[in-house]
Amino acid sequence: MLIGNVGFGLDSTSGEVMEMLAYVIRNLLQRLVLLFVVSVMAHAVVHIAPGEPSEVDPSNPRLKPEDVTKIRAAFHLDDPLHLQYVYWMRDLLSGELKSFKDSQPVLPKIWDRFLNSLPLFVTATVIVWTLSFPAGIHAALRRGSVYDRSTTFLAYALISIPGFFFSYLVILSVVELFGVPVIGMRTFGMEDAAPLFRAMDRLWHLVIPSIMSALVGVAILSRYVRSQMLEVIGADYVRTARAKGLEEETVVYTHALRNALLPFVTMFGLLLPGLIGGSVIFEQIFAWPGIGRLGYDAILARDFPVILTINLIAAVLTLAGTFLSDILYAAVDPRIRLQ
Amino acid sequence: MRLKRLLLLAPLTVVALLVQSYFWVPTYESQAKANPHRLRMFIESSIGDAKILNPILNADTASSRIVGLVFEGLLDLDDNLQLRGRLATHWEVGEDIYLLVNPAARFDDGSSITPESLLDRLRSELLAGTSAEDPSDPIRAIELLPPEVRRQTVEVPGSEAEGEASQVEVQLTLPPRIRFGLSRVVPDFLDRIRPIIGERYEQTLPRSTWVSAPAQIMSAIDHARLAEMLPVLEHNPTLVFHLRHGVRFHDGHEFDSDDVRFTYQAIMDPRNLSPRTSDFEPVKSVDILDRYTVRVVYKRLFSPAVNAWTMQILPEHLLNDEALGREMERRGLSSAARATFGMRESVFNRAPVGTGPFVFEQWQSDEQIRLRANQDYWEGAPEYSEYYYRVLPDPLTQEVEFRTGAVDIYAPQPHQIARYRDDDAYQRFSSLSTGYTYIGYNNRRALFQDRRVRQALSMAIDVDEIIRYVLYGEAERTTGPFPKNTVWYDPDVEPIPYDPEGARALLAEIGWHPNEQGWLEKDGQLFEFNLITNNGNLVRKAVVTIAQNAWRKIGIKCNTQLFEWAVFLEDFVNPGDFDAVVLGWSMGADPDLYQIWHSSQTGYGQLNFAGYRSPEADELIVAIREEYDAERQRTLTRRLHRVIAADQPYTFLYAPLATRVLDKKIVMVNPDGTYSRIPDVKSGDVFYSFNRWRKLDHVPRF
Repeated sequence: MLIGNVGFGLDSTSGEVMEMLAYVIRNLLQRLVLLFVVSVMAHAVVHIAPGEPSEVDPSNPRLKPEDVTKIRAAFHLDDPLHLQYVYWMRDLLSGELKSFKDSQPVLPKIWDRFLNSLPLFVTATVIVWTLSFPAGIHAALRRGSVYDRSTTFLAYALISIPGFFFSYLVILSVVELFGVPVIGMRTFGMEDAAPLFRAMDRLWHLVIPSIMSALVGVAILSRYVRSQMLEVIGADYVRTARAKGLEEETVVYTHALRNALLPFVTMFGLLLPGLIGGSVIFEQIFAWPGIGRLGYDAILARDFPVILTINLIAAVLTLAGTFLSDILYAAVDPRIRLQ
Repeated sequence: MRLKRLLLLAPLTVVALLVQSYFWVPTYESQAKANPHRLRMFIESSIGDAKILNPILNADTASSRIVGLVFEGLLDLDDNLQLRGRLATHWEVGEDIYLLVNPAARFDDGSSITPESLLDRLRSELLAGTSAEDPSDPIRAIELLPPEVRRQTVEVPGSEAEGEASQVEVQLTLPPRIRFGLSRVVPDFLDRIRPIIGERYEQTLPRSTWVSAPAQIMSAIDHARLAEMLPVLEHNPTLVFHLRHGVRFHDGHEFDSDDVRFTYQAIMDPRNLSPRTSDFEPVKSVDILDRYTVRVVYKRLFSPAVNAWTMQILPEHLLNDEALGREMERRGLSSAARATFGMRESVFNRAPVGTGPFVFEQWQSDEQIRLRANQDYWEGAPEYSEYYYRVLPDPLTQEVEFRTGAVDIYAPQPHQIARYRDDDAYQRFSSLSTGYTYIGYNNRRALFQDRRVRQALSMAIDVDEIIRYVLYGEAERTTGPFPKNTVWYDPDVEPIPYDPEGARALLAEIGWHPNEQGWLEKDGQLFEFNLITNNGNLVRKAVVTIAQNAWRKIGIKCNTQLFEWAVFLEDFVNPGDFDAVVLGWSMGADPDLYQIWHSSQTGYGQLNFAGYRSPEADELIVAIREEYDAERQRTLTRRLHRVIAADQPYTFLYAPLATRVLDKKIVMVNPDGTYSRIPDVKSGDVFYSFNRWRKLDHVPRF
């Protein structure tokens, strides 16, 4: 039995280490090729899609055709696609890639927005991961009870209600009932208040958007925990543990839960791409200046450098995330060997 | 059990931590108690963020709003849309006129014209008996200029084999010229000197002898082109600005005439890609007369040019080549980046320095822009010490923030205004904006070529219904091409009445009769066309549906479709390949309609995409551009309004009202220290008296 052997299965021979290393290198190379293909395709799709950067918007009566031509030339918009790709990569790698919209360097721009999105992402993730487990475990242990059935109902309700609609209802009722600001990263006009007030104000502004964006996550993850737990609780080794005369709590939380948790370890890897994705809908509703909105606005304005760079970073993080979860899985589950 | 306890404690702690933060946040009533500084702050909300904070480069409303607070122009428009001096204390309009001396011409009495004899004749006729102070006589000087050699590039149409037009430089050997200095602009000056120079003066002008260029180029320059290159009379209107003394930029540097000239040069510098070049293209030169006096000379008559000087002024010392060079050094740019580095790339555009009432502090993209009061402002520091521009991309969010006191002013949507109308917890300002919405017909299409068809289409639509039910009453009917709140608009033009029966009768007159199914038909052809607009604008979408329904009632088959903005422009509007569109214009305060209505502007991507052509309108449009007298200009614009309204190339629907709601605690401080309600302003600019606004800690009673 595997009980007590959830540790890292790295006490292996040098042959296994070599094998693992070869796997890692091969896998990384494959992913690099894939990344290149993704970037070429994304570049082509973004450029071929209809629409022009708003800087050359022909509806602007102040802009003459000559000026539009000049701007198009400055942005390389009339060069062949493969050349545009080369220019993009060259500027990106030399750090000189600039947004069409405001001529600001793209990478610092994305970094700033990333830092804004981060607290929202972290709080939402913390809520998802802390709430889902107790809720799911509890439902599994009392399978068929009123609690189980009502949480199942609630979970499906939360998954089905559109997030933006629910957010509006919550915003309106909070404003109506409590009369406090809930929009943005903080209350305006608080700059001169004491630091503690300001910190708490920022925290308050995190509460509603992070809960709203966490709800669906809680609903899905707690269902997942419940089904994992149910699967494990019927396993032979759990029956063995009970037969040994162990206390029910030890059986559930030490023997069953540890094994039920195995698949979730790998999900940490898959969290990575969420970092750059942000949440377009919630950032839009709560006026949160995060990365999701940066991407959304860039798409509306056809700001190619920003769209493409965010896309590329997302691709990198997705590939890194799946890679990480492969490795993690092999590390925590000794039955899995990477080849 | 540690794990079990952890599993329960962790979520409880997280939730408790998050929820307790509620008790630290101020409500609307308590905002000033906990934080008195809040009363010295003004928070405005907008749907979109600014793009570039440089007056010569920005083209969006958000950027213009901030730029308008940080920078100032030589002039601006006052509460009646009249020009008012800001950085310029006053200005004078005059002109120089150059007359080519025609050696081949003769006076009417038969004596031949020499430069000297012409000068004597003109002097004795025009200057005799008048004094320099006489305001009715604008002529201040007449002098003779010696011959001059000048190089000029002209566009020549290519030969039939090549076809391409090309730019060539030719040499002009100008004959002696006579210069007239005038204290005001006299567009019909040629008529005034006609009795002296004779009827046939310009017909005998030997223009081709003054141009030297290779033979094949000479043959390509036709008579009209020659007349354009060498006009017998060249009008050079001039503007002399007297600048305010002692005004300082926010960094302490004094503003002077160099900055004015620099701003002009920056706009015209092709590297900067300024969207405002067309306003300044007619400028011939900007000359510095002294540190506080600038003279602008124009190439030709172009009266909207005066309005262009509401353009805000840039600080030369921060943006000239030397300053940009220093910035490149500081930022350590690569040589590739240096090659293309210009004003557009400068950090100035995100941290502007101007002379306006507010000083730029900080810009956090898509969140806020922060300004503080300019204590050194020449008109006195504004009441507020801080100004915030908040970006809230969602209308409901704006309303929520406004009602919780985290926003002081915003522009609500029509359906929101309906809510505020019954709510006197807030101040509300509604006024006409300079825009209007219309249904534009493609006048090139055979179907729409008869103006009676277009009139009938307009008669079939009940515009009042659209205003009442779609716009919640937040609009007024409009009848023509000028903004309704300007004097150019002719209030006497009656809106086309809603009259479906009349429309049907009018169409029957031209031969459109209902067939068995009730659709109008003529020579076996159905009256059928497509009405399109852009996706994403709910009001336009509603207008499309209402129009479709209204026309169906009189037997016209109208198909409708929505397109994404870019596709809409690229595939339909730019090539002029559509039947009818619903669109809107946002206009300036000047009466120049050249780009939208002149028949020369109907090409690909140009703004007269409706293809409107009327010789009468063309003539009026050009005359308005060349008329400097506001009174006569108004007569012309009203005539133009009537011409276009009668032709109905568009169905002019409505001019939307610009509405803002404002915190009721905000009042205007009078010079004597008392305060009063914020006044409604005819120009529609709520912020006209903004520097004197103040927020009280209670709701005042008036």
